[in-house]
Amino acid sequence: MIEKAGTDENSDSAEGPLQKKADSRVLLADNERLKKALIDVLDTLPSIIARIDREGRVDLVNRQLELFSGVSAAEAFGVLLESLIPHFTPQLRQVAEAIDRQNPISFAKIQYCSGTDVLYFSMHVYPLRNENSGMAVIRIDDITEHVRIEESMIQSEKMMMVGGLAAGMAHEINNPLGAIMQHAQNIERRVSLTIPANSKAAEEVGVSLDQVRAYLEKRNIFEFLEHIRTAGSRAAEIVTNMLKFSRRGHSRIETVVLASVLDQVLALAATDYDMKKLYDFRHIELVREYSADTLRVAMNVSEMEHALLNILKNAAQAISEAAVANPRITVRTLSVDGMAAIEVEDNGPGMDETIRLRIFDPFFSTKEIGVGIGLGLSVTYAIVTREHHGTIEAWSQPGVGSRFTIKIPLHRRNG
Amino acid sequence: MNKSEVSILIVDDDEIVRESMGAFLEDEGFIIHFADSGEEALENIAFLRPVVCISDMRLAGISGEAFIVQAYSVCPATGYLLHTGMAYSPSPELRALGMTQEDVFQKPITHFSVLINRIAAIASTGRMEYSAC
Repeated sequence: MIEKAGTDENSDSAEGPLQKKADSRVLLADNERLKKALIDVLDTLPSIIARIDREGRVDLVNRQLELFSGVSAAEAFGVLLESLIPHFTPQLRQVAEAIDRQNPISFAKIQYCSGTDVLYFSMHVYPLRNENSGMAVIRIDDITEHVRIEESMIQSEKMMMVGGLAAGMAHEINNPLGAIMQHAQNIERRVSLTIPANSKAAEEVGVSLDQVRAYLEKRNIFEFLEHIRTAGSRAAEIVTNMLKFSRRGHSRIETVVLASVLDQVLALAATDYDMKKLYDFRHIELVREYSADTLRVAMNVSEMEHALLNILKNAAQAISEAAVANPRITVRTLSVDGMAAIEVEDNGPGMDETIRLRIFDPFFSTKEIGVGIGLGLSVTYAIVTREHHGTIEAWSQPGVGSRFTIKIPLHRRNG
Repeated sequence: MNKSEVSILIVDDDEIVRESMGAFLEDEGFIIHFADSGEEALENIAFLRPVVCISDMRLAGISGEAFIVQAYSVCPATGYLLHTGMAYSPSPELRALGMTQEDVFQKPITHFSVLINRIAAIASTGRMEYSAC
């Protein structure tokens, strides 16, 4: 806290020296008290506060700003605020205009990358309206937690909506799908040699079953039937995935070593047919950073593997599409605040904020139509949040890469 | 298990589902009966005395769940299976009748052998109680 401004109001007093001395003592006491009160108020507030002039020069900062910038109040005096907190330069450049217009301005969500953490800040600029006009008070707040809660609330609302739709739809889709797949099976069986009724019926119409089969084979009918079943299975899988959005976990929970689950997923990824076909997973360097390699966590293993595999697939695809020079995926295990954390980081092309905010949305996809339908990461989201009471966050910086952080409680709540 | 001695009652309000399931089980060699509602099935179950009854969950009248509870009081020896389009685990009422997750088949069935094995298991263990129905 600094306060260098101010003139000595009583220096030109016309009163006698004694009188003057007594008055200034009272005033001094008042000033000291006022100053202390002001410091207390400013330093108690959780906001980062500074007062700057039109050029951006600081004449007052609070404790929070000292902590944030690492510059003491005394050193900060007279310095440009943007040199103390350079990250906020674009916003601070608009302060002069706000002062000229005498209009407060606000910036709602300023992204700030501190090491590997992503923080969010809001900034308010209040031009002073008194004789000090030409100056403004800057207030900056850390709204990271607020933004995270808001994002996850919006996300779970979306999921609930899709989940509700899916639950209603599942029955309607699965019935005809069941009939389609069952009948494909029935057709195959009704021309098979093992069911006596088939030969009998063939005989009745004057052909042999062998002839019927020879014809069907010649015209690829068996292959078509197989395709009907494969396509049916694919459609069924989509419905099953959508049902996960609304389902509460009542699944098989096992306590397993987190690192071994990750190893298993990496092994799966290396052999996954899609991965081999679409992206060259073998050419991606896999880095394991297990800082909690004996950590045991309660989870539904197959679901969590599914969740992680979706993230790996996305990372691999992003990397291969962008043709990154030294493609690398880093997986980490950590233990933080009673939570087990898994990080999957890639050095792919990253994504901008508009995409990042939508990646967990069901049916949101940046891939070409036919390549993906946009369920992968939303399924991952549902598995982590609904089945494991965990959280998942995405960090990304275009040109640098993306990172997904999954956190699940080490001690599972009941129910 | 002699399949031609094992009768199965299929309860489903969707004709195409009923027919496709019926054709499949018929080809397996089972004896098949149909009902398009729980009410209709209840009228006939004491007479048919099926070894296995496969019911849809969402039916036009009483639900598959309610149907099974009532059918059990008439025919406790029958093995009841649910064939449903939704993610489902047996309610406490159904669990009290001995039903487990193994008795629930999610539409569409992709591995038919699982269904056949379940029917076979019921047919081989339920045989003695069967006559008491």
